[in-house]
Amino acid sequence: MRVRRKCEKPVRLRYLPLLIVALTLVLSAPGHAQTQRAASPAPTATPAPPATVVRIHADHIEFYYDRYLIEASGHVQVQASNGMTLSGDAFSMDLKLNRFLVASHVHLRSRGGNLDGAAIADFLDFDRIYFVPVITKPDRWTYENGDYTNPLKGRQMPGDVFYFPDVSNTSVSLSAKSATIEAKKFVRFTGVHAYFLHQGVPLPSYYVYFGLSQNLAQNSLSGANVDATWNMIGNANSVTALHARYDAFNQAYLGFEQHLGGNGPHEYAVFSINPLTKDDKYWNLVTGEHIGSKFEISTFTQLYTYQQGFSDPSASAQTTYVTLTQALNRSYLQAYFNQTNYNMIGPKTAASPNHPNSLQLSANSYNDQIFKTPLYFQTSFGLGFNHDAYGLQEYGGTLYTTIWNQSVGVTVSLPNVKIGDREKPYALYYVNASINSSRTWNSVPHHINAQNTTISLSRQISKFVNSYLAYNIQNTSDLYLQGGYEPSAPLLPDGTPYTPFESFRGAATQRTLALGTTYTASPNLVTTVTFGHHDDFPAAYPGLFAPPPTNAIGQYTYTNYLGQPPWQLNTEVRVRIEPHLVLDVQRTYFFHFGNEIWSPTFVIQLSG
Amino acid sequence: MIRMRHRLGSLLCMLILVAAAAPVTITGQLLAYQDGFVFFTTGDGFRLAPNVAILDDQTKQPAKREPAPRDYARAVFNDAGQVVEIDLAEKPYAVGPLPDNVQAFAVTASSPYPNPELAGPPQTTSNGVDETFSGKLVLVKFEVQVPPTTPINAQIFITTDQSGWNPQAIQMQRIDALHFVVVRQMASGTILHYLYTRGTLQTEETGPNGLSLRPRALSVKDSDTNSSNSIVASWADANANNILQQPSVFPTPYNPAPFPNLPNGVKTPHP
Repeated sequence: MRVRRKCEKPVRLRYLPLLIVALTLVLSAPGHAQTQRAASPAPTATPAPPATVVRIHADHIEFYYDRYLIEASGHVQVQASNGMTLSGDAFSMDLKLNRFLVASHVHLRSRGGNLDGAAIADFLDFDRIYFVPVITKPDRWTYENGDYTNPLKGRQMPGDVFYFPDVSNTSVSLSAKSATIEAKKFVRFTGVHAYFLHQGVPLPSYYVYFGLSQNLAQNSLSGANVDATWNMIGNANSVTALHARYDAFNQAYLGFEQHLGGNGPHEYAVFSINPLTKDDKYWNLVTGEHIGSKFEISTFTQLYTYQQGFSDPSASAQTTYVTLTQALNRSYLQAYFNQTNYNMIGPKTAASPNHPNSLQLSANSYNDQIFKTPLYFQTSFGLGFNHDAYGLQEYGGTLYTTIWNQSVGVTVSLPNVKIGDREKPYALYYVNASINSSRTWNSVPHHINAQNTTISLSRQISKFVNSYLAYNIQNTSDLYLQGGYEPSAPLLPDGTPYTPFESFRGAATQRTLALGTTYTASPNLVTTVTFGHHDDFPAAYPGLFAPPPTNAIGQYTYTNYLGQPPWQLNTEVRVRIEPHLVLDVQRTYFFHFGNEIWSPTFVIQLSG
Repeated sequence: MIRMRHRLGSLLCMLILVAAAAPVTITGQLLAYQDGFVFFTTGDGFRLAPNVAILDDQTKQPAKREPAPRDYARAVFNDAGQVVEIDLAEKPYAVGPLPDNVQAFAVTASSPYPNPELAGPPQTTSNGVDETFSGKLVLVKFEVQVPPTTPINAQIFITTDQSGWNPQAIQMQRIDALHFVVVRQMASGTILHYLYTRGTLQTEETGPNGLSLRPRALSVKDSDTNSSNSIVASWADANANNILQQPSVFPTPYNPAPFPNLPNGVKTPHP
């Protein structure tokens, strides 16, 4: 019989997904409560409030995503949350302009009674309804501020009140049987056919957010080559999405994401499981909150589990980042906390028991102009610590479990100095330069100097072509109180020592010369070619340095690293293949640096 | 000479008579066809003659269906101002205000009177020209200056309310060490809300005080080109020393050395 101590009890994650799914479904439901108000107007004589929710049923509803237009025809029924109901033959709504039109055989039911007419247009932003009633003959009535009992008869109307938008050059994004629209927020369709490359995919529902806040768009998923998102349900503060994804590492899989967003700035929470259908699962939670006018908090938590389906995981780890920002007068303070647990299962697994944490406090100035010169500068100061009870670093016979640090940094920049004839834009050169320098002192007796210098010369050669030449030097020195990195000659893949490395004492220099040219044939087709030359110390040697890990879509997770191939040619083509779909293809040629001829894979991305 | 003048005068009179005899017509888009009236999208309703003919505009043969909303059509009037013929067209007709002679045929129960809400002076551009928003596609150029600490190989995007706040909606091209640019076609009248990102909303721009920003706004005007020049003060993932955090894989071991990929065998110092 297996005896388990209390502290070794594995984390029970089996029921967590069910709990979260139930919670998200409950949170996603309130949209119904808002639309129910439309069916039961309050029996008072006061003017009706402006409609905020509009529900449409029709034989055929079409949505044009790139223009945020809804066009409907055939047995159109419209219910508005202020109690007005309409029927007619045709419907048109511009979601961004926040106005809709019902035309042909219109029947209006409102507090003013039942009326028939030829067309009615509701300008929701202005609380104005323009109506063409047909009693014995046509007329023009305007309802102001929800007062349906006293129409302004004969008052002139704006010229385009009853115009249908021209959609002849626009593709339908989806068709539906009904739609619920909350003004300036979202539209939720049911009975949907979503069109991708003109092929319809049946879906029970689809949700589109078109509000001005980015809170509901906060994303907690990692990158993928292809991501087809089905926003299943949602309302003004919640979206539930299923992602059909593909990347070279995981192949095809599903991801689940739940968004919650507040009405204020930076108020959001996003939860995701990705990949949902693989044994390796990442459970992410991203939150943000703006407290008062000068304080903000952001968090990111990731739980990793290795489990078949939702069975007990055989491996699990967790990390959490918390960032606090306090704005001051022409500066700001930031606290940055991280806690990582490499083993959430217990001693029965072989995973590392380390659970490091760190806290960094920093003060940053604005990027201020130096008197009236074209130069700008910015300073930062920081202090913090890293801690791990199992030890962070051994030095001088001591195992350090806590390492304190202090840092100071300054950035000076020279943006956009023009050289040449200012009357001729295609003959004008621009010079930009910046230098960023910092030093970090550690309680382990060493300090790290980092300096990053960039200067560039650029020119718009023609309407379609611009080009730049940039030179970047990145110096990093890890300087110990006693000695530096020990002289050593690492072995090359063929077993011989690489002697040029013997002079390395912890100071590295990376020099990058880049020549980039962009050809913009049209706004929908852009080609960029970048030629780069690296001259680094320690010098690169094929196969000697470990390349950075790649992310799921084949990109290196960091792009400035020792051992970069000295010559590189990167080509990227971006083409818009649909109004809301861009295809991006890029690859790098390494000029036969050892076995490296091309970057590991083509990086292909479809994005909206 | 006098005879010549008489002849020219007679010719002119004949032309006027022919022109006067030509039926009055209008073209436009239909709003409704009901209750003995046809309505155009100007909102004007015209009475139908009892024997109104519904024709195909191209073939002039009887149309196979009734006029419907969104149809483009030509209406032919008789002297009494009634519509005697409606020609349904496949191709779009220009939609605009009615000519004065047709406006008189529009049937309305109430006498029209001015709307004070529409009486304001037209908006003008800085050059004093009337500002209009016709909806035509115009070029919009976005240029942004990024913080000096932005990596030389960073990618910059624009996220907008027009693309559901997709953080990679519009990719920009680098034009020098600190500037990126992109040109897009947009309909005039578009009010665009947008922010700059480095590919995710966790790497979106922040204000000079480190706090998240409300989206920028741009109203796209009818001029041939519109442009927006912006400066990004900082990125949301800039850390204590204002140096961007290196992206890393999970889990991330604490590494006291700043060189993450030194070859095997390179030793850190020992006192």
